[in-house]
Amino acid sequence: MNDPIDATSPVPDGPGPAPSADAPTRPGALLHVDHVSKVYGSGHTAVTALDDATMAVDQGEFVALLGPSGSGKTTLISIIGGLLSATSGTVRIGDVDVTALSRRELTRFRAERVGFVFQSANLVPFLTARENLLYVATLVKTPKKAAQQRADQLLEELGLADRAKNLPEQLSGGERQRVAIGRALMNDPDLVLVDEPTAALDTALGRQVVQLLRREIKDRGKTGIMVTHDLRMVEYTDRVFEILDGHLTHVEEPSALKH
Amino acid sequence: MAGPARLLSRGELARSKGRFGAVVAALSLIVFLVLVLGALADGLFYGATGAVRSTNATAYAFSDDAEGSLIRSRLDEADVAPLRSAPGVTAASPVGVLLTGGKGPEGDIDLAVFGLDVGGPGSPTTLVEGRLPEAGEQGVAAVDTRLQQDGVVLGSQVAVGDVGVEVVGFVSDASYQLQPTVWTSVADWRAMRDAVRPELRGQPTAINAVALITEPGADLSAIAATLPGTTVLTSDAVGLAIPGVAQQRSTLNSIIYTTLAVAALVVALFFALVVLEKRELFAALKALGTPTGALGRAVLVQAVVASILGVIIGTIVARLFGLIIPANVPTLFRTDTLIQIAVFTLVAGVVGAAFSLRRIARIDPATAIGGTL
Repeated sequence: MNDPIDATSPVPDGPGPAPSADAPTRPGALLHVDHVSKVYGSGHTAVTALDDATMAVDQGEFVALLGPSGSGKTTLISIIGGLLSATSGTVRIGDVDVTALSRRELTRFRAERVGFVFQSANLVPFLTARENLLYVATLVKTPKKAAQQRADQLLEELGLADRAKNLPEQLSGGERQRVAIGRALMNDPDLVLVDEPTAALDTALGRQVVQLLRREIKDRGKTGIMVTHDLRMVEYTDRVFEILDGHLTHVEEPSALKH
Repeated sequence: MAGPARLLSRGELARSKGRFGAVVAALSLIVFLVLVLGALADGLFYGATGAVRSTNATAYAFSDDAEGSLIRSRLDEADVAPLRSAPGVTAASPVGVLLTGGKGPEGDIDLAVFGLDVGGPGSPTTLVEGRLPEAGEQGVAAVDTRLQQDGVVLGSQVAVGDVGVEVVGFVSDASYQLQPTVWTSVADWRAMRDAVRPELRGQPTAINAVALITEPGADLSAIAATLPGTTVLTSDAVGLAIPGVAQQRSTLNSIIYTTLAVAALVVALFFALVVLEKRELFAALKALGTPTGALGRAVLVQAVVASILGVIIGTIVARLFGLIIPANVPTLFRTDTLIQIAVFTLVAGVVGAAFSLRRIARIDPATAIGGTL
């Protein structure tokens, strides 16, 4: 079977199709977003949520997608993660054209290649921390032993070894978010998408979680995109993309945002 | 490796016991209700029809105006001979039936007296103790085991009016119209009839019906045609023709099926609520790459487990309840009725849960991102 999903190579080889003129040309990039637009509705009631967005993110980079509520950042990250279809444009992750996959292929693609950290952890409430990690392993049919070893190792790294058998309701907000990070990394994805991870946490805890997130992503050479409206979290990222009213712009230096 | 559906359903069943307790309790009560109704339906049916089911007769001949009722039918002993020589008939015997009150060792008892050529067609086949009266033997009877509750033992006298017979045997499952039967000779039956129905004394050769043993595949209407004014029905049809039996059966069955439909509705509502409450979680799980089918299977597995637990608990409660039901309430807990109800409950549970599959399919994984901010 020449299923594009199985043709995994950890480092994308060579440049993809020639990026458009205004796109940052990054031959080694893992993620290419190419002239992606999303329009809801049609005719005079049409609303453009995302207007001709183009971006590229390297393997091993941790970037922020910064913008206020309703700016289109949710739409963009949903399209990148294969949760939403684009009206036009293409998204490539590694050698896979995400915008060309069927729904079924997208489900499998997300399980195998994308890790998600949601705003409010969204753990399975009736599974323990460890089982929440093992759950995603069942989606890609990881052998039981290997899955258990990996879950234990991740929980250890995330400082949750002694919380492994606790249910989400027995964990603090920060601990829950750490379990969610572990779950996102469980299947060794290429890309980790993080949606407002600090929304439900206070500043100090939020910083800890984002720091941990950065360390886990960097140590593993993963690519991370964090959606946030919180400027204070931007300092932990390598680059920042700003989005306003559906228009995506690239901010070269995160420090430039700090006034 | 356990699949995602198993992990989800097992985790939830193990850790949300209170919630599942509620739906299991509802299903248990429904199963209990249905089983008791079923036991009542079976008890009524078996109690009403035992005397025509638990015999060696394959068919009965009635007068045309009897509509299949042994009691309403009026024939004469002279009618037995032509029926015996009808095509397809191997044996025929007169049958007299008398529903009456009588006296046992401990006082008044209700009785259904059957007079026939014992040993011939219509003889009971469910002897459990003692013996049947022998051909031509007078003054003896085999009686329904239910009379043991009234103190009747082998050797006891059972009397109707001033006519008494000695009990020589017991037969089981042989009640008629819920009254315990007494199987005796035509002569003893007639003497008892004359004792309580003096107006019939002038009809010394009257009988109610003729019990037949027919060859397999015999044409019953051809048999009836040999004797104008008669109808021939199979034993099964005679059971249903007993006044009230068919009506009781259909009434109780429709209550049972309606109750099972309620079970499906209860399960459907329960899982509709469960899915509604889990919309956010299911959206997140789909975003993580869970196929819709796995979430659906998890819900179905839970429905099956809840139904099975409901059947088990409901059965136990119904059987315990059966122990305290007064003996004069006709109930019969039969295994095949139990199996039927168990299967129907399981199907109702799965069908009910299946309604939420569409809801699960409609959950959009994209709603997992963005949340409330």
